[in-house]
Amino acid sequence: MIEVDHLTKRYGKTIAVNDLSFKVTPSRITGFLGPNGAGKTTTLKAILGLVHPTSGTTRLLGKVYRDLDDPLHRVGAVLETSRYHPGRSGRNHLRVVAAQAGIPRSRVQEVLELVAMKEPAKRRVGGYSMGMRQRLGLAAALLGDPELLVLDEPANGLDPAGIRWLRDLLRSLASQGRTILISSHVLAEIEQIADEVVIIHRGRFVAQSTTHDLAERAAGAVRVRSPEAARLRELLAGTGMRVAETDEGALTVSDGTAERVGELAAANGIILHELATERATLEEAFLELTAGETTE
Amino acid sequence: MRLVYGELLKIRTAPRTSLGLVLGLLLLIGVGSASTAHDADSSLPFGNEVGLFDVIRILAIVPVFTLILGILVVTWEYRHGTITQTFLTTPRRERVVAAKDVVSLLAGAALALVALVLALIVASFWIPLDFERAHWELIGRIVFAAAVWGVLGAGLGALMQSQVGAIVTAFVWFLVAEPLLGHTIDALTDVRVGDYFPGNVIDRLVNTDASVEIGSEGIVAGPDYAFGLWAAGFLAVGYAALFAALGLVSALKRDVP
Repeated sequence: MIEVDHLTKRYGKTIAVNDLSFKVTPSRITGFLGPNGAGKTTTLKAILGLVHPTSGTTRLLGKVYRDLDDPLHRVGAVLETSRYHPGRSGRNHLRVVAAQAGIPRSRVQEVLELVAMKEPAKRRVGGYSMGMRQRLGLAAALLGDPELLVLDEPANGLDPAGIRWLRDLLRSLASQGRTILISSHVLAEIEQIADEVVIIHRGRFVAQSTTHDLAERAAGAVRVRSPEAARLRELLAGTGMRVAETDEGALTVSDGTAERVGELAAANGIILHELATERATLEEAFLELTAGETTE
Repeated sequence: MRLVYGELLKIRTAPRTSLGLVLGLLLLIGVGSASTAHDADSSLPFGNEVGLFDVIRILAIVPVFTLILGILVVTWEYRHGTITQTFLTTPRRERVVAAKDVVSLLAGAALALVALVLALIVASFWIPLDFERAHWELIGRIVFAAAVWGVLGAGLGALMQSQVGAIVTAFVWFLVAEPLLGHTIDALTDVRVGDYFPGNVIDRLVNTDASVEIGSEGIVAGPDYAFGLWAAGFLAVGYAALFAALGLVSALKRDVP
């Protein structure tokens, strides 16, 4: 569906993307993760034919983007840098895109309804909020009813209600069998919608796995609180887990899972007041993943 | 074809810049033709014909505006970042560039014609509009120059991509660099290289030089040019084609920011 093959992009001495290869599976939502500056946008731009690779190739639907006939009917894209002429209304922006892509004008109204932008679309883009701009970008991406969507940080600038709306929209688009590649630097955002994730760091490939596996790998310490903290601590340490007392009656357990801690407590009749897996931040997940990579 | 239509839609739906440019030009033309026609003394021999000539000659300023219009047609896409969507819609960039060249050509010619009609309407309040062959020829040359300079602007815009950069470059070249270079080279050598520079070529085409004398037969005497009108026409097209080609290469090679 999307194939990135040994992609390298240099800007002078800086290497934005370094020998990156991955594939995106059809009919799924794939998250494209990496911290700011990891090379996500450059990679997406290369896929979309906006940036010429220094070496390597990118293909969508078996072709280089430039060779797609009527690309807007096949691929919809929202880039982080999606920008508009401030003097043009949202509706006119879409009409221009539709005119150049050979899409009937009636479709403009449909996509505006889909992204809930019917009213603001009459106004000039110059006065739009970040969230409205994102919605307009999505509307443009959906104009051609494409089978593949490439979205660069589409949740940026959306308020919590907007993020929820985006999630629902993407889920419904995916349920229609569409393939979606969505980049983000926020792990939590991706976890909730993506089936699979590709992680890059400093322009290099780090990992590709299902979201479920990543969540397990990124799981951090287990936080447990018990009136019998001291006894529990001994038991846990006895199984080889690393335990630290963080508070009165509260322990932080690393190298263990909540399941194992819970089972051990139950087997020994210890009462627990709290048992939770603390989410590692994305940075921690990266550190863990990149560290794992170097030792392999 | 749909790309050309889309480009025209872009101009029509982004009113402020293009409208300001067109209105500014029309105001200039309107005032200019009114004062010129008002001054034409019909009691002199050929007074009316000369008056009409002078009115048409005001339009020699139009290529300057179509040059800027051509620059804007390309560079406002880079300035506002809409070039990203444009190239996503049409990844074959040569088609986009060609559509912009065509639109700049059409818009340039249209602007010249609109300015002409306005100038004639205003002038008709003071002088009779008795056209002779020479008048039509001058009109044709001006419309031609306006269209060709629109393409040159689009090419320069695609080459530089920076709106301010392209406009400043154009002004510095035509107002400072070209006269300076031309005079220097002419003073040092026998070859009149300066005459072949784009600004002089377009001057040759639209005869803006004040020393041009006009009689009932049209232009009877003017400055001594190094080449004829046909050569000037071909040279102007050559310059426009050169910059269109450079602009195309730039658009194809460079990454979208």
